[in-house]
Amino acid sequence: MTEKVGLAPPVSPPIRLTRGSYGFKQRVIDLSAQSIDACYQCGNCSSGCPLAQEMDILPNRIIRLLQLGQKDDIINSETLWICASCFQCTVRCPRGIDIQAVMDTLRQIALEEGIDHFGPGQIDPEQAAEVPQPGLVGVYRKQST
Amino acid sequence: MTKVAYYPGCAMNDRASHLDRSARDAAVKLGFELDELDKWTCCGAVPPVSEERVMNLIAPSRILKSVRDSGRDTLITICDFCYNTLKRTNFSVKSDIITRKRVNAFLADDEPERDYIETDDSLWKDYTGEVKVYHYMEYLRDVLGYEKITDNLKRPLNGLNIAPYYGCVMLRPLNEIQLDNPENPSIIENFIISLGAEPVKYSYRTECCGSYLSISNPAASTRLCYRILTSARNSGADAIVVSCPLCFYNLDSRQQAIDEAYPDFKALPIFYFSQLLSVALGVEYSRQGFEKHYADVSPVLDKIGGISGKGDAK
Amino acid sequence: MKRIGVFVCHCGNNIAGTVDVKRVAREAREMRGVTFALDYIYMCSEPGQALVREKIKEENLDAVIIAACSPTLHESTFRTAASEAGLNPWQCEIANIREQCSWVHSDREKATAKAIKIVGTIVEKTRLNESLEPIPVSITRKALVIGGGIAGIQASLDIADSGHKVILVEKEPSIGGHMAQLSETFPTLDCSQCILTPKMVAVGKHPNIELMTYSEIEQVSGYVGNFTVRIKRKAPFVDWSACTGCGICMEKCPSKIPSLFDRELATHGAIYVPFPQAVPNKPVIEKDSCIYFNTGKCRLCEKVCEIGAINFEQEDTFVEEEVGAIITATGFETLPVNDLDEYGAGEVPDVIDGLAFERLLSASGPTVGEIKRPSDGMIPREIVFVQCSGSRDPERYKPYCSKICCMYTTKHALLYKHRVQDGQPYIFYIDIRTGGKGYEEFYHNAQEEEGIIYLRGKVAKIFRDGKKTIVWGTDTLTGRNIEIAADLVVLATAVIPMYSTAELVKKLRIQTGPNGFLSEAHPKLRPVESINSGFYIAGAAQGPKDIPETVAQASGAACKVISLFSRNHLEQDPAIAWVDEELCGGCRICISVCPYDAREFDEENGTATVNEALCEGCGSCVAACACGATQQRNLSDSQIKSMVTASLGGE
Repeated sequence: MTEKVGLAPPVSPPIRLTRGSYGFKQRVIDLSAQSIDACYQCGNCSSGCPLAQEMDILPNRIIRLLQLGQKDDIINSETLWICASCFQCTVRCPRGIDIQAVMDTLRQIALEEGIDHFGPGQIDPEQAAEVPQPGLVGVYRKQST
Repeated sequence: MTKVAYYPGCAMNDRASHLDRSARDAAVKLGFELDELDKWTCCGAVPPVSEERVMNLIAPSRILKSVRDSGRDTLITICDFCYNTLKRTNFSVKSDIITRKRVNAFLADDEPERDYIETDDSLWKDYTGEVKVYHYMEYLRDVLGYEKITDNLKRPLNGLNIAPYYGCVMLRPLNEIQLDNPENPSIIENFIISLGAEPVKYSYRTECCGSYLSISNPAASTRLCYRILTSARNSGADAIVVSCPLCFYNLDSRQQAIDEAYPDFKALPIFYFSQLLSVALGVEYSRQGFEKHYADVSPVLDKIGGISGKGDAK
Repeated sequence: MKRIGVFVCHCGNNIAGTVDVKRVAREAREMRGVTFALDYIYMCSEPGQALVREKIKEENLDAVIIAACSPTLHESTFRTAASEAGLNPWQCEIANIREQCSWVHSDREKATAKAIKIVGTIVEKTRLNESLEPIPVSITRKALVIGGGIAGIQASLDIADSGHKVILVEKEPSIGGHMAQLSETFPTLDCSQCILTPKMVAVGKHPNIELMTYSEIEQVSGYVGNFTVRIKRKAPFVDWSACTGCGICMEKCPSKIPSLFDRELATHGAIYVPFPQAVPNKPVIEKDSCIYFNTGKCRLCEKVCEIGAINFEQEDTFVEEEVGAIITATGFETLPVNDLDEYGAGEVPDVIDGLAFERLLSASGPTVGEIKRPSDGMIPREIVFVQCSGSRDPERYKPYCSKICCMYTTKHALLYKHRVQDGQPYIFYIDIRTGGKGYEEFYHNAQEEEGIIYLRGKVAKIFRDGKKTIVWGTDTLTGRNIEIAADLVVLATAVIPMYSTAELVKKLRIQTGPNGFLSEAHPKLRPVESINSGFYIAGAAQGPKDIPETVAQASGAACKVISLFSRNHLEQDPAIAWVDEELCGGCRICISVCPYDAREFDEENGTATVNEALCEGCGSCVAACACGATQQRNLSDSQIKSMVTASLGGE
């Protein structure tokens, strides 16, 4: 029996949208209590995000991918872990979407799926002794299971 | 001497003890006393995330309820994170009746074990957000009034250019905090003026310092702090004043990493607002905990009253 | 000898900065015929005009010359001032020493010399000027409105309510236009027919409105205030005065023709009323589709009609009407789906246009308001709306934006979602343009409440695959292509002028723009009139627009007409051409050169005449006249000769 070698998958396959594409979006809407559909992609959140320069997918595009139900792209992004929860996006959104809450929800879902970004083994003990508690509590609550 | 209920928060005990001590000293000079709650727990530091909307409200609600049950309606807190968490908890409990009911149901559960009702023996009353949470700076602005500070200055900070740094959680999100305009705030500037110093205007005063990324992604935090510090210095600041312990940690101790990464970087001393306040009100330098700072504070202290060290009031 | 006064304006520094105005005044005083001259800083100001009036009386002047800016600015100002002092306005002339002198030269010596020459030229003209009276032109106080859509309806009602008579001509059997086809209107979601039919009924009943439906304009002649219009009244083959509207004939007719009102989603008989709320509610027989007219057999409608209202012998009739003003409100159509090659070229049954979808939504439509797709009547659960189908495409289709599609597509998706709750609407767009009042809020609401997926990208191809219609589009916001297997696709096709407009404007001789829409006199300041006097325009015929703008424009055009009718007569500038009959040889060259059709021939007299109402005083006929019989008033050959001499510096 010879092994069949399949074709390499395409680089940018089209997204095939159907009615069933939106379960993930609905879950995020329910958990975060934010109106994801209201986003009209103005980009204000990305423009003002202080951590945008470190991100692979900008905040507005995360919301866009969410609107189109693209769970995998979102969960596997670096963006969720680079977000510092500074609320700048929330304050500026013209449609009143609390983007920080959406990010928290996405992080939570990612953690549920087993994507653990940060663990106690990764912290520098010297730093741990000096850094004020909110820093430690924040990083654990948002970035690890 | 008025006593006001005070919630210190975890950081005040050790890592940010200089913030705590200077705040208490300054309060005494201004005629009120920070009366620490008898029993308190960690507030959770970051506001509840999604699904845990109710669970993580319990700890802060418990704190707030204990204040109310002790017969008081005002709570001062000094750590920005605690302020943000407590104030937003209050807002949730006040504005959403379902949350309120669920929170109180949980609180009622541990009623028999915890005996923290101090003065009120009466029947159970739901906590409905009766306590007003003040940030120490908010208390100065709204209850005491800045004239009280100016009238009591022993070492006016004339000639000092101080840049305010707000950070993120003191002002945002606007709907729930309502302390000041998050895009163009003035509370720390007015505070600086009341001390006799000159506030410095620079563009990065509300940009994030990196917060907890300092632990999980230090490079990002280094870059952000570099931008903030350089902007303040280029606008003529002698020092930066902060109110959040995590911001203090990032802007101060991260200067070592910034120094290694950026050859053109010059150190800038960072102060807690309460340190400057108590120094201006005449408290000795030795009580300020300046030895904990990474960036050297002596250039600033030299400018104040000409004496660096044990100098006392005129 | 005429006593001429010359007033030289400084215009602040505008003239005096380059021209020695005092010297010009001094030199003017020495000119032949001039008895008085002065200079003043701002002639057009109140004191300046007062000066003119004062000096006319004091110095007993017969004529005045204001040496100042271009006459387009203040000629009327000074003519009014002169007439207030008792002078005939045509004895006041302007010498332009600003735009034609001080503003284009810098050498003070030479500019001053030129200014003096300019003044001298005008002096020579003024010496021979006659006092003239404006020519009154009578006005027929009756309006013609062409087009019975909401624009025509509104304009007719406004004019009729002001007390004047209106003739409303509509080529379809009923008024109502496209608005009658709509289900609900944005942003209020008012039922379209409910807000339209009261106005339609008002038009039908108004004592001042004569409604001529199933009629077309045959010929227009005349000029503003005095048009003669020939209207063809097509034969409906039904006696409308007898018909009771019982509808039996329509039920029985065996012929089946696709309903234009229902965008060919349904059929009706050859005898039909376009829709139940039609005004007038009387049927017509479409001759080409009628079995009797084609084969000589049938006549079933005649048999079942109890009143005997059917009359196959009817002929088209013609009526002539005299009107004073004409409003063209012929409305729009949409680019046919057949023209869009990559979207199926009209051969995919489940690709329809916006108006067809309106008919599906409409409670009085072919599917009674249930959204069922044309191919098999199934309720579509995946529905794709494609905006900018044929708009914003200078290369291949229409270059302009059709303005209404962003709003009506959002409306369609929202109404669809209300009725098919488990369906998923998608909208492909390039931009969302929601500029009107309440429009942005409408869009935000729809987006947030209804779960409509907005995809930012232009659709490249639509084709059939089995029972599904495949849509290939993209989403530039994520940088990914999108493929949807849709049950129904609705194209927001480009708005184009109604097909009949192109022929009509040739008869009216008014302008259209490069895309066939009627041209307004000035795009900013005169949007409801044509540059041709007496012709007004309103509604989508002038450019794509929504209902609030259409109604506003219609009222605006009506207002212009009422304003025209409110004068006793029109006043025509008398400084136009006239014919000296003694000299006229009857060669008719003048008639052929006149661009305004103002020259006519009097057969009896054997001489050419001038239609004073139409003449614009361009001078073409004066130049062309071989024997000098045609002259222009106050610009005669002898005046021109002496003006030329003066301008060259001679005496």
